[in-house]
Amino acid sequence: MKTELNFADHDAFYEHLIAAHQGLDEAQSAQLNARLLLLLANQVGDGTVLAACVDAARKPFGPYSPPEA
Amino acid sequence: MADSALQPGGYVLPEYEFVAPPDLGAPEVRRYPVVIVGAGLSGLALACDLAERGVAAVVLDDDNTIGVRGASSRGIVYAQKTLEMMDRLGIYERIRKKGVVWSVGKTLAGHEVVYEFDASSVSDSRQPPFINLQQFYLEWFMVDRIMEFGRTDLRWKSKVVGYEVLADGARIEVETPAGRYLLEADWVCDCSGVNSFIRDSLRLDTHQARGIDRWCISDVRFKESLPIERWTWVEAPFNDNRAVWQHLMADDVWRLDFQMGPETDIEHVSKPEVAAERVRRQLGEDVEFELVWVGPYSYRAQLIDEFRVGRTLFLGDSAHAMSPFGARGGNSGIQDADNLGWKLALVLSGRASEALIDSYSDERRPAAQFNIMTTRRTARFLQPESPAEKLLRDAAISLAKEYSFARSLCNTGRLSNSFIYGKPPTSRAQKHKVRGVAVGEAVQNVAVELPDGRAGTLVDLFRGGPAFVGLWSHASPDLSGEVIRLANRTVPTLRMLEIGRGALGLSVLGDATGKLGAALGATRGKPTFWLLRPDMHLAARIENPDAAKVRHALCGAIDGRLQSELP
Repeated sequence: MKTELNFADHDAFYEHLIAAHQGLDEAQSAQLNARLLLLLANQVGDGTVLAACVDAARKPFGPYSPPEA
Repeated sequence: MADSALQPGGYVLPEYEFVAPPDLGAPEVRRYPVVIVGAGLSGLALACDLAERGVAAVVLDDDNTIGVRGASSRGIVYAQKTLEMMDRLGIYERIRKKGVVWSVGKTLAGHEVVYEFDASSVSDSRQPPFINLQQFYLEWFMVDRIMEFGRTDLRWKSKVVGYEVLADGARIEVETPAGRYLLEADWVCDCSGVNSFIRDSLRLDTHQARGIDRWCISDVRFKESLPIERWTWVEAPFNDNRAVWQHLMADDVWRLDFQMGPETDIEHVSKPEVAAERVRRQLGEDVEFELVWVGPYSYRAQLIDEFRVGRTLFLGDSAHAMSPFGARGGNSGIQDADNLGWKLALVLSGRASEALIDSYSDERRPAAQFNIMTTRRTARFLQPESPAEKLLRDAAISLAKEYSFARSLCNTGRLSNSFIYGKPPTSRAQKHKVRGVAVGEAVQNVAVELPDGRAGTLVDLFRGGPAFVGLWSHASPDLSGEVIRLANRTVPTLRMLEIGRGALGLSVLGDATGKLGAALGATRGKPTFWLLRPDMHLAARIENPDAAKVRHALCGAIDGRLQSELP
C-alpha cells in the first residue's frame, strides 16, 4: 500500500471531488462515495493492496474479522 | 530610521507632507511618462523598481501615510521572490533585521499536529522562504528607499477624482488640500487597490465572488515565548472547532486570526473585551498580553479580464483580489511590479516596442488566476459547504495522523511561490521533471563570486538599468570572436558573463560552491547558455549555443516572448 503522496495534483482532485458532491443529499453523497470506491478499487486491482487499504480505513473503529483467504 | 512604530496604545505611523505640485495653477496641463496611482505594496514596489532602474515617476496617494488608517496591518508574510526583489532594491537587510525569519509550518487538528513542513530545506537562495513583517513596515522602507533614489515625485493627499482615456495616455484629475488640478500621463499604473476608482470609471468587470467566511484578527503582544513557526489549526478546540492562525510579526506581536461562524455579529466579536476573551481561551488564563489591534474581515475574489487597457495598467488588488490564505495578495502585487517595471523601463527608453507591455497582462493574469484558484481551494477546505464535504475533510484529517499522503490533503494554505510564466503555464508538478530552472521560472538568488572578486549573489548582476543577463557555461573558445561582437552590439540591453572559466573573454562569474550550476541545471562539459530577464525569470536556455541563437532568443525576449513561444 502506498502511503506517500502519489497524486499528480492532490488539490485539484480534492476540488473535483467536492464539486461532484454538489447538490446531492446525504444518501446520494454516500452512494457517490461507495460507487467511487468500487471504481477506484477496480483501478488498483491487486488483492493484497486492496486488503491493506480496507484494514487501514477500518483501523480507527477497532478490530474486525476479515474473511478467510 | 525608526526602530519601532509600536507605542503604548498602538502603532504610530510616519506622516508625509503634502507639497503643492507645480501643476496647481499652471496655465497648461503637464504631461509625465509614468503616473502610479496608489502608494501601497504594488505601487511603491513599482515606483522603487523604476527609480532603481533610473526611471522617474509621479506617485499619487490619497493619504499621507503608509498602512491603512484604522487597520494597522494587513499583509504579514513576504515570500522569497518578494524578498529577492527587495534585495535588488536595496532594502532586504532592513526587512531581515526588523522582521521574523521562519520556515517551519504546522497544521493542527484538535491538539494533534497533522502536517508539518520546513521550507528551508529546498532553497539555496540568500533569502529565506519567508519573513513576517507588518505590511506598513515594508511600505515604510520602500518610501525611504524611493526618497533616497530621489527620482520619484511622491504626491501625498492627492486623490484621483477624474479619469479620461486619451489615445496615447490618460488625463487625470487630482484633488488636493490646495485644490484640484489636471495632469496627463503616457502610462498610468493603477495600484489603488480593491476599490479602484480608475478601474470602476472604465467600467471593467471584476467578476466578483464574495466569500461567506468571516474571520477576526487579534494582534497581541505577550512575553511568553512560543515557537517561531506558522501554526494553523483546522479545528481549534479553543475556537469552537473552527480554524485559527498563529504567527509572529515584528515588535513581538503575534497575529492570532480566528475563523468565526458565517452568521457572526461582526461588531460584537470585534469588541476588545470579546477579542481578549478569545485570546485568553487560546493562551490560558494566566498569560498576560496586550491587544495591539483587532480587525474583522471577510474576503472576496475579483479578477479583471485584461491587466492592460490601452495605456492604463492594473497591478495588485485593483486587478485581482483573493482570500489571504497562502499570502498571495501582497506578494502577487509586488510580483506584478517586478514583472512590469523592467518592461516599462525598456519601452520608455525606446529599446523595446509596446508589445512588451502586452506580455505583462499575458503573464500576470494567469498568475492571478492561479492564485485565486489556489486560495479558493484552501477556503473551501476551511469552510466545508455540505455534510459530504465535512465528512471528506474529517476522513483526510483522520488519515493524516498516520499516512503522509493524506497530510498533503489538509489544505490550510499553499504558500506563495513565484509563478512560472509561459503558454500554457508550466505547473510545479511538470517542473520537477526539469533539471534546474525551467523556462519562464525565476532563478533563485544563489551565492556567486562576482567578476571583481567580491562574494555576492545573482541579484547583484541585475541592479541598475534594465538589462538581460546572459550566462555561458562550457563554451568553446572558438566562439569568442562572435560572442564578443554580439556583446558589444547589445550593450546595454544584454550583459553577458561566463561561469567558472574565461574561454570567451567575457567577465567571469565564479561558482565555487556549485550552487549557481545547480540552480541553472548546468551539466558538466555541456555547452549551455541561459538568458535571464531583468526580473530574473529565465527567458531561454540554449544548448550548444552560438551568437545567432542567442540573438534570436534576445530579440524574442525584448518582445516579451519566452523561448517556448518563439518560432
